[in-house]
Amino acid sequence: MEHRTLAGDGLPALIDELIKKGMRVIAPTQRNGDLAFGQVSSSAEAVLDYFLCKRSAKEIVFPRTEAILGFDRSGGEVKVEPPSMQFPETVVVGARPCDAASLPILDHIFTWDCDDELFTRRREATTVIGLTCTTADNFCFCTSVGLSPDNTAGSDILLTQLEDGQFFVEVVTDKGEKLAAELGELFREGGDESARQKAGEKARALVTRSVDVSKAKGWLDDHFDDEMWESWMTCLGCGACTFVCPTCHCFDIVDEVQGLSGHRCKNWDACTFWHFTVHASGHNPRDVQYKRYRQRILHKFRYYKDRFGVTLCTGCGRCSRHCPVGIDIAEVLETAAGSAAS
Amino acid sequence: MNRENIYFPHLAQITRILPQIEDHKLFGLTFVDKSMKDNFSYRPGQFVELSIIGTGEAPISISSSPTRPGTVELCVRRVGRVTNALYNLERDDLVGIRGPYGNGFPVEELEGNNLLLVAGGLGMAPLRSLLWYTLDNRERFEDVTLMYGAKIPDEMLFKYELLSLLDRPDLRCMLTVDKDEEGIWPAHIGVVTTLFDQIEIDPSTTYAAVCGPPVMYRFVLEELLKRNLSKDRILMSLERKMKCGVGKCGHCAIGYKYTCLDGPIFTYWDAINLPELI
Repeated sequence: MEHRTLAGDGLPALIDELIKKGMRVIAPTQRNGDLAFGQVSSSAEAVLDYFLCKRSAKEIVFPRTEAILGFDRSGGEVKVEPPSMQFPETVVVGARPCDAASLPILDHIFTWDCDDELFTRRREATTVIGLTCTTADNFCFCTSVGLSPDNTAGSDILLTQLEDGQFFVEVVTDKGEKLAAELGELFREGGDESARQKAGEKARALVTRSVDVSKAKGWLDDHFDDEMWESWMTCLGCGACTFVCPTCHCFDIVDEVQGLSGHRCKNWDACTFWHFTVHASGHNPRDVQYKRYRQRILHKFRYYKDRFGVTLCTGCGRCSRHCPVGIDIAEVLETAAGSAAS
Repeated sequence: MNRENIYFPHLAQITRILPQIEDHKLFGLTFVDKSMKDNFSYRPGQFVELSIIGTGEAPISISSSPTRPGTVELCVRRVGRVTNALYNLERDDLVGIRGPYGNGFPVEELEGNNLLLVAGGLGMAPLRSLLWYTLDNRERFEDVTLMYGAKIPDEMLFKYELLSLLDRPDLRCMLTVDKDEEGIWPAHIGVVTTLFDQIEIDPSTTYAAVCGPPVMYRFVLEELLKRNLSKDRILMSLERKMKCGVGKCGHCAIGYKYTCLDGPIFTYWDAINLPELI
């Protein structure tokens, strides 16, 4: 696909042009004191000189709560209504590669065996313009899970700022090509590929944390009962890691009632919550916290890989950054990989 | 009704409520939509997501047999929020049903073999489906044996139905209770494993289907292995908190398997390779 170039000050114009064309634009924006992905009504609301949003971009295709049916019992009889399955054309501007990469990873779970069309239709209606990183911290470890700060996975278009300030516009998918064609006037044909290479190297050098994830998996594969797990008992079971995670996708189905009507909702849930596996009888197959934390790690680095061929992690580091008791997922993997070596 | 939305339930009417034992009732449900009523089919061992609109959903195994279409029977224990709400409903009230879900018993593979059904407590609920499926297709199976143990006579599910099978010549129906303080029990007394001394198992032509509380498995599996039944001929119906039923929500994930799709029927071989399964 033909690459293009965007002027160094071209991002606001790009956002405003998309809004003018009637698209719903989602970008990092201030929401109640935090940076979050949200709809913007003008480029002035978008914050693109940023590190990461506190929560990931997954909620664009997998909202924290969404109705799967509406119900009404006011007439005496039960009436049920399916929700609308029409979703507006949406463009995400400025997703970091670790956020964009979560989307194709989530495709596996929401489309295997049968499609969850609440997910797939949102996904189809969404075009992602990724943005190569310019900063990283010590929790970032994307390069250890096969990604990088300039990786194109999940982006339809990836923008990389070059040394001279201009953006290299990498058109990744057909969807990206369609959008780039529509924005023709903003983009200049062609791009400086060697400058793009250089910017990519610079971005990759930002990530200094490195874990041998495949070695760690080798250890995880046959140490289900290792005593190491109990040493991670500090986990509070607060679920913060799963809520900020771009790939955690567990959900609950809950009826939310107002008077005689309401909605049945698909709400985010977390395998680290004690009630996640508890049976109505009271029996809980994961009866203590370390077993629930173990499930989170094994699901990400062993089971999902065994089932779908990909690791359920983009190395964004959010879980470590936000853990109230300082559990660092890369450190858990380092311990596993280290044990494999010894 | 709504094929795009995999979470959308079909409405069904409660057409029968048969009390079983304390806090256990058998609910007969009939789909409101006629084509659903006529076409709903399932395998023994599968489950549905039963919903009380406005309260929520719960996974319940199907207790009726697909050989008797028209009404789906669910044996429900009153224990949680959804089941308590169900107990507040009456005949003709509406509930929601999604499903059937899960793999069910591999009935075609079982054909031509001896079958040993071993149930404990509420474990009879899913095995009743297989039992009636087998009896309704009796010529397709060799010897069929049912072993069912309850703590006391008052805690035996489907008691009168099962007692009426004691005289059936084409079924070896072995019912037992752990204790019978009132002296009213007409059959065996002792835990379910004490029945094993009364039977012969030919390991080359027998499949066992086991369902019961977690504590029961260890002892029953021990008996079956002692009689040289291979691990892939021991089928177990296992309980997990299945929420979505379609392999998405993660609640019933064990190892790389999803109980709602890969189970709830697992072989003992699967169980050995999947920690946390039982």
